[in-house]
Amino acid sequence: MTDTSLPAVGARPAANVRSRVPANPFAILRRALVYVLLSIAAFVSVFPFFWMIVGATNKSADIIRGKNSFGSELFNNAATFFTQVDALRVFWNSAFIAVVGTALTLLISSLAGYGFEMFRSKVRERIFALLLLFLSIPFAAMMVPLFVMFSQAKLVNTYTAVILPTVASIFIIFYFRQATKAFPSELRDAAKIDGLKEWQIFLFVYMPVMRSTYAAATIIIFMANWNNYLWPLIVLQTAENKTITLIVSALTSAYTPDYGMILFGTVLATLPTLVIFFLLQRRFVEGMLGAVK
Amino acid sequence: MNRIASRRGLVLGAVLAGVSFLSVAAASAGDVTVWAWDPNFNGATMKEAASRYQAINPEANIIIDDTASQDDIRAKLQTQLLAGSTDGLPDIVLIQDDVAQKYLQSFPGAFEPLSDSIDMTAFADYKVAAATLDGKSYSLPFDSGVTGLFYRSDYFEEAGFTAEDLNNITWDRLIEIGTEVKEKTGHLLLDLDLTDTGVIRMMMQQSGTWYFNEDGSLNIVDNAPLKKALETYAKFYQADLVKPVSGWAEYTGAFTSGEVAAVPVGVWITGTIKANADQSGLWGVAPIPRLDIEGSVNASNQGGSSWYVLASSDNKEEAIDFLKTVWGSDVDFYQKILIDQGAVGSLLAAREGEAYKATDEFFGGAPVWQDFSTWLSQIPSVDYGVFTAEVDSAVQAQLPTIIQGGDLDQALQAIHDQAQQQMQ
Repeated sequence: MTDTSLPAVGARPAANVRSRVPANPFAILRRALVYVLLSIAAFVSVFPFFWMIVGATNKSADIIRGKNSFGSELFNNAATFFTQVDALRVFWNSAFIAVVGTALTLLISSLAGYGFEMFRSKVRERIFALLLLFLSIPFAAMMVPLFVMFSQAKLVNTYTAVILPTVASIFIIFYFRQATKAFPSELRDAAKIDGLKEWQIFLFVYMPVMRSTYAAATIIIFMANWNNYLWPLIVLQTAENKTITLIVSALTSAYTPDYGMILFGTVLATLPTLVIFFLLQRRFVEGMLGAVK
Repeated sequence: MNRIASRRGLVLGAVLAGVSFLSVAAASAGDVTVWAWDPNFNGATMKEAASRYQAINPEANIIIDDTASQDDIRAKLQTQLLAGSTDGLPDIVLIQDDVAQKYLQSFPGAFEPLSDSIDMTAFADYKVAAATLDGKSYSLPFDSGVTGLFYRSDYFEEAGFTAEDLNNITWDRLIEIGTEVKEKTGHLLLDLDLTDTGVIRMMMQQSGTWYFNEDGSLNIVDNAPLKKALETYAKFYQADLVKPVSGWAEYTGAFTSGEVAAVPVGVWITGTIKANADQSGLWGVAPIPRLDIEGSVNASNQGGSSWYVLASSDNKEEAIDFLKTVWGSDVDFYQKILIDQGAVGSLLAAREGEAYKATDEFFGGAPVWQDFSTWLSQIPSVDYGVFTAEVDSAVQAQLPTIIQGGDLDQALQAIHDQAQQQMQ
């Protein structure tokens, strides 16, 4: 349910890059080559974003003809989008599902990760291995049984049905367990001596100390929730409950798609994840520098 | 520690409060819900139909959800029918004709037969046939994908061809004409996407055949029209008349930008073409060319879909009455959706209305809608069967070889083998 093909988080930027002065022409050449390759990679990554924004300012016919300079249709595209889509409603749906889903996933999955690392037991590793094995089951295979479950619980077409299957995310549990290995057990011991109960240690010692991990996990979970497609598609039945991702995706299936309007919607749908990413990325770096002292 | 504790408590409380109002009410009983894709086409026509029905029955409440794509609707329909849970399903759903048999045969009893209560002879035969299983017809036929050859009349005129020269010709003749148009104007004849079998299917249907025999088994290796269609497809490439494209945007871009001279396609493309108002008067529509074999006619179909009533619906009677009253007999309604959405319905009586008799300046003042409705009544019926999508992908796999002059019999055998494997 959570996207598992995620980049490694927490990789430190290579230190002392600036102080290394290239010693010979070959090194300069190599450096230049690296920059050229990185520039190409950057262009390839950034161009779709650029094109999306340019497209949002152009007429559909111009986009089809391959125009890739800014146009003057932004307000027309916006007007078409807002007449066709109940934007406030779908944004609320998406925001609610993403925010509540993220909060619950963080709480539940981090608690599980903490538990797996902190409490020793004979079967711990076996259960954990089993969990990791479950990661390989494609979601499509679980869809019909899951639907039967939610239908019997009379939860079809509710936010709950979208959020619940994602809150115990195996990947996030794994991620927190790995991160917890770096959590100093002295802190827990000290807290115990101070008379804190286990849940207090988790809430007041573990959580603040691990805030960098939480920040990184928030980015991952929020993006996965915001972009979640297949399950919300199946389980949300009426137009007023659908998320922005579903709505924008469906716009492209018209016989005569209005690409300008669609790209405007795509820009809108992308903004929240971008904002969250940049907001938390800064905190994430801060957290990395001063997390566990 | 206390300060932190209260803050955390607050967050926790907010989260839990959020969870408590997660449930959302579903549509209440007594409403007729409809699922359709494309708010500007299917959604808009259904809304017009609903408002007409509500004018007659003020207490009727028809809820139209046109916010999902066709793929989305299929995924939802399939999951819920498979799960055997029908709570979330609508009362009426739009299904494309070429997948209809798949649903009818895979989920027996899931759809309500409509031929008991609605007279199906009022609609184009081939549309009714697509939704008929064991003598009962399950759909209220909606839009037709009746095909035409849309062409740039200015290019063809420059090359010395009139509308009459394109009237009831064969595909081979079109290739000859296209070659001359290319020599004189520099424009390629058409654009084709190797991942789309639309033109090949069009050629099969106009010859009254499809991928299957009557018993549902594959009809590939000895399928003469299919072989001829593949041969013709290859000829387009060998005559160097094709702009290769990939994806819908590029496909429509090639003819709306004036790059290629013609496009053989379903009538639903009209809106896309007419969106370029500056090309008014530069377009014409000719009957679709036919294959040079016995039984092939100058009329075919591409796409098109129909309305189905779900057997699980609590409001079956009202849903059927709605379809029957508006979609089954309101000729004026069909004039309105033709003008507003460019939707060509399948109700044969609709052609007697004003809008169908009108001429269109965009197409040089030709009575295009009368033409389309004439061709509509001539489209041969074929049985789309259950596995059209599977055979389509087998055909696609062979197209790159075929256009390079690969042996057709070998290709047909390969298509047969791949499709056979998929069907098991």
